[in-house]
Amino acid sequence: MRGFKYVMCLLLGTCMLAGCGGKRDISEDTLTLGAYTVPKEVYQRELIPRFQRIWKEKTGRDLHVRQSYMASGAQSRAIARGFEADIAALSLEADIERLRTEGLISHDWRKDEYRGFVTNSIVVMVTRPGNPKGIRDWSDLIRQDVDVLYPSPKTSGGAMWVVNAIYGSSLKRTLLETGVADDVAAGKFLAALQARVRVMNKSGRASVTTYETGVGDVLLTYENEALLRQRQGKAFPFIVPDATILIENPIAVVDANVDRHGNREAAEAFVGFLRSPEAQRCFARYGFRPVDADIAAEFSDAFPKPLHLFDIRFLGGWPRVSELLYGKNGVWTGIFERKGV
Amino acid sequence: MFVGLLVFLPIGAITLEALRSGLASIWDQIRNPQALAALGLSLRMAMIMVLINVVTGTATAWVMVRNPVPLRGLLNALVDIPFAIPTVVTGMMLVVLYGPRSVLGALFADRGISVVFDRPGIVLALLFVTFPFVVRAVQPVLEEMEVDMEEAARTLGAGRVKTFLLVVLPTLMPAILSGAALSFSRALGEFGSIIIVAGNIPMRTQVASVYIFGEIESGNTGGALGLSIVLLIISFLVLFSLNLLQKRSRRYAATD
Repeated sequence: MRGFKYVMCLLLGTCMLAGCGGKRDISEDTLTLGAYTVPKEVYQRELIPRFQRIWKEKTGRDLHVRQSYMASGAQSRAIARGFEADIAALSLEADIERLRTEGLISHDWRKDEYRGFVTNSIVVMVTRPGNPKGIRDWSDLIRQDVDVLYPSPKTSGGAMWVVNAIYGSSLKRTLLETGVADDVAAGKFLAALQARVRVMNKSGRASVTTYETGVGDVLLTYENEALLRQRQGKAFPFIVPDATILIENPIAVVDANVDRHGNREAAEAFVGFLRSPEAQRCFARYGFRPVDADIAAEFSDAFPKPLHLFDIRFLGGWPRVSELLYGKNGVWTGIFERKGV
Repeated sequence: MFVGLLVFLPIGAITLEALRSGLASIWDQIRNPQALAALGLSLRMAMIMVLINVVTGTATAWVMVRNPVPLRGLLNALVDIPFAIPTVVTGMMLVVLYGPRSVLGALFADRGISVVFDRPGIVLALLFVTFPFVVRAVQPVLEEMEVDMEEAARTLGAGRVKTFLLVVLPTLMPAILSGAALSFSRALGEFGSIIIVAGNIPMRTQVASVYIFGEIESGNTGGALGLSIVLLIISFLVLFSLNLLQKRSRRYAATD
């Protein structure tokens, strides 16, 4: 399926090139958004239409926004391989960093008051209605009678956030109890929890679908994903554990592409708009935690702050986590090889 | 010419790409325990599927040719359906049929058997996807086979079973083997249905094709290439030995 999406991207890219070479309408601006799948609804229904109106009022020109939504890593690789997105809105810093190391982003995308992020979220535990297994905290997830679902960190950025949350919450617990963050205990806890996972789908969305077919007692996912399902009227109760990770989603203008397309002004205006109170409120209504402090305060009832919330820096930042957990000799990678078949 | 462009070019490209990163590093990637486990599981699942397919496929062909079943045309068309359905849909169908919420799935679950997201699901998906191969290989041979030989055997006193084993089966063998080899190679690379049906747990329910997908997605092209080359070689060997076998049996038939 993802292969198909690559082809679509290629086609899209080709069409764009053809469009540029042919007639170019001067009364219209075009932006291409390369995003991860999770915020698709809020971009399509709220943010893009709103920004189009603003752009029209400000410049008198129509804005056409081409959109592509794929899993964060796949989107990042597609852009790196030549999909001409002007704006990259992805799940993890590492996926934006790839574009920087490939030379597509030349500015310091972290250098703004939001450190390059546009939305936040946390990892939560979705349970069956009524919580029949009585899930309350991380320690319940390693019980022998509990089946857990989350996607594969090999293919899903969301799954990396989940595994980070599991590992980090265990570190946090040992830190609170003994004063020392115990990496060995955290590794053991991660292994015990991984042993309760029967299915690892390729993406967060696929994992939700599997959960909806009746597999598993607990689904670990983004808070916003659970809130979106609730918004659609589905019974999707979830628990916010005391210790969980703050998910921070980055956004950046892709310099090489906006320079080629000559639409830097529109791209930067769009990214600026996404941090405006209006856009941040839209994000919040779709389940994302705002990065703007004032708007976050407005929605503080809807998004309770977990007691022991930590962010990626608690684990030493993404570069360290990539190596520590997912590297060739990483903790997560090693779980399967030690256990054997 | 066409074959060259269509088949050789992509295979050549992947081989070159693999060679560029160095044989040693490829060997390293293949020796990765998760890669080996995925390959082993793929081979085992494909073997089980082939064993079942050979029996059911031959039986299906037999029924279609020899027994005047009603709606034979319909049955004939049904056999090819697995080729026409996108394999992702096959996976979805199996999940709907055997998932925990379904009647069948609940029945199995009560007995402690998990079908989808586990190994039985993989075999079922492979069976569905490769079903036509054996049937379509055996059917034409059966159609051309004269009933005389069987009748002769029967009049000479051979029982039904003996006739089938000693007269019919040897004639069908090359066709059955060809169907088996094709379905085996196809099963090794099957991806669309497996990624939906299998649990994708490394070392347990992760098959080679899904492992390769994971490596590509996590940016480890080397690991993906390494295992791809192994799959390619195995498929090639299977198909090549099939060719040899067919030549030999043809010679055997000629001198007979």
